[in-house]
Amino acid sequence: MRWLGHLLVWTVALLVALPFIWMAYAAFIPPEAVFSGNIFGQLGFSLANFEVLGRGGFWEGFWGRLLFSVLLTGGVTLLQLTTGFLAAYAIKEGAKILPFFLVLLAIPVELLLVPLYGLLVGLRILDTLWALVLPFAASPFIVYLLFQGMRTVPEELLEAARLDGAGHRVLLTRILLPLLRPQLIAAGVLAFAAHWNLVLYPRIVAGSKELQTVQTWITDLQRQNPADWGPLSAAALAATLPLVIIYLLYERRIVETFEEGLKG
Amino acid sequence: MGRNNAHWFALPAVALLGLFLLYPFLDVLRFSTWDWSGLSEPRVIGLENYRNILRDPDFYSSLRITLIFGAMTLVPFVILSILLALALDGQPYERPIKALLFLPGLVTLGGATVAWYTLFSPEYGALASVVPVPRWDQSPFWALVLVMLFTIWRHIGYGVLVVSARLKAIPKTLLEAAAVDGATAAQAFRYITLPLLRPAITFLVVIGTVLTLQGYTAVFLLTRGGPFGGTEVLGYYLYKTGFEVGRLGYAAALTVIILLLTLAFALAQARLLREEK
Repeated sequence: MRWLGHLLVWTVALLVALPFIWMAYAAFIPPEAVFSGNIFGQLGFSLANFEVLGRGGFWEGFWGRLLFSVLLTGGVTLLQLTTGFLAAYAIKEGAKILPFFLVLLAIPVELLLVPLYGLLVGLRILDTLWALVLPFAASPFIVYLLFQGMRTVPEELLEAARLDGAGHRVLLTRILLPLLRPQLIAAGVLAFAAHWNLVLYPRIVAGSKELQTVQTWITDLQRQNPADWGPLSAAALAATLPLVIIYLLYERRIVETFEEGLKG
Repeated sequence: MGRNNAHWFALPAVALLGLFLLYPFLDVLRFSTWDWSGLSEPRVIGLENYRNILRDPDFYSSLRITLIFGAMTLVPFVILSILLALALDGQPYERPIKALLFLPGLVTLGGATVAWYTLFSPEYGALASVVPVPRWDQSPFWALVLVMLFTIWRHIGYGVLVVSARLKAIPKTLLEAAAVDGATAAQAFRYITLPLLRPAITFLVVIGTVLTLQGYTAVFLLTRGGPFGGTEVLGYYLYKTGFEVGRLGYAAALTVIILLLTLAFALAQARLLREEK
């Protein structure tokens, strides 16, 4: 019976890893090997696919879009952490608004495309950078995660600091910020991944070239040249690697955060 | 200094979420009574959109596809989550494997679909040159299978985590006592482990239903609703009518209907699974 379990686990693990292994392999396939149809016969290593990505103007091309997306999503993540951190502090200090955030958690964001589009039209920020930033500047999920973290900070600690004359600013930056570092990292990675992975939303609310995210860029390339795996895989790898590295660095923390969330 | 002024720190989050999440969520009701393309001047038409949806064959066809897709995905997803969590429990490789299983859910969606596409495409795919790949670009059934496999691939880590967290909460003494009383491993699983896993399974089924009723990004990226509309799930139909055909009012009414369907399904399932005790 036991070996059956091992077999299942390793088969599934291999299948789950397969697209990643393939992506890493295909990104470095020499273009000749793809055209000759002999992809597994001759092992080759080539950076040609990455060079192809650099063609065209920098800002319109792949690397420019990657930089834009990293800056955009990084900025949104910082905003979400800031608003979430402050809100979690307010709840910890006795503001009775946790239910408000819990109710919002149940709203399916993916289904709100139509009314959100209407709202952005009304605010006259459709097709501007704001359309990609403002709707994601706060997240009920992040507020919840950070509040869970703050709950574990003993009240006496804050009380003692207050008696010493510490104000909100000192409490937030000198005490809570370092104590909540693990939660902030986990929340930050999840917030980053969520925004990074938006596919349909940016396409609809910010269609112009200079606002194109790397996801849109890749899906457009896939539509135009579905057979051109080399550059496609190189782009996919370059767009995936940052997240994989961040994830591997903080994997333990992230998985634990999910496990704690399940207990609550 | 008063502690009450700390309340103001919640203002940015409350204001932003109120405007960009709660307000649109309620506002969708107003849009659903409009005839509106997004560019044109909106025209109020009352419940006309809803009446049209109930007579719309495309709506029923995508509802049917969504239900088939949901059943096709959910059953293997839940079973696989349970089996993997059981097989992983207490193994030396538990942590690294869980980390690996969790990875597809976080990585770049566009990149992930590129890898899947270049690997599995029957026309251009790498696998097609080694083994025959079913023509999912021509057969709606295989296209659904592809989207199902992709969906399971992305979420299996979370499923395993949910079951596993529950599994760890079962006291080992309970299983030991059963073994002392002469229960076989299969009996112990059937009469002790499985009933105690019920909350986790309920949770997965409800969450999974909500996600399948509402999700459509994978469909958009992999099949675009095709072939022959065979993978046009409700969410994708909503996206298409709203932003490709340009009937935003109609799409808003669809949103309301999908939300109501989700709510009804989730409540019914939670109830069924609880009562079955």
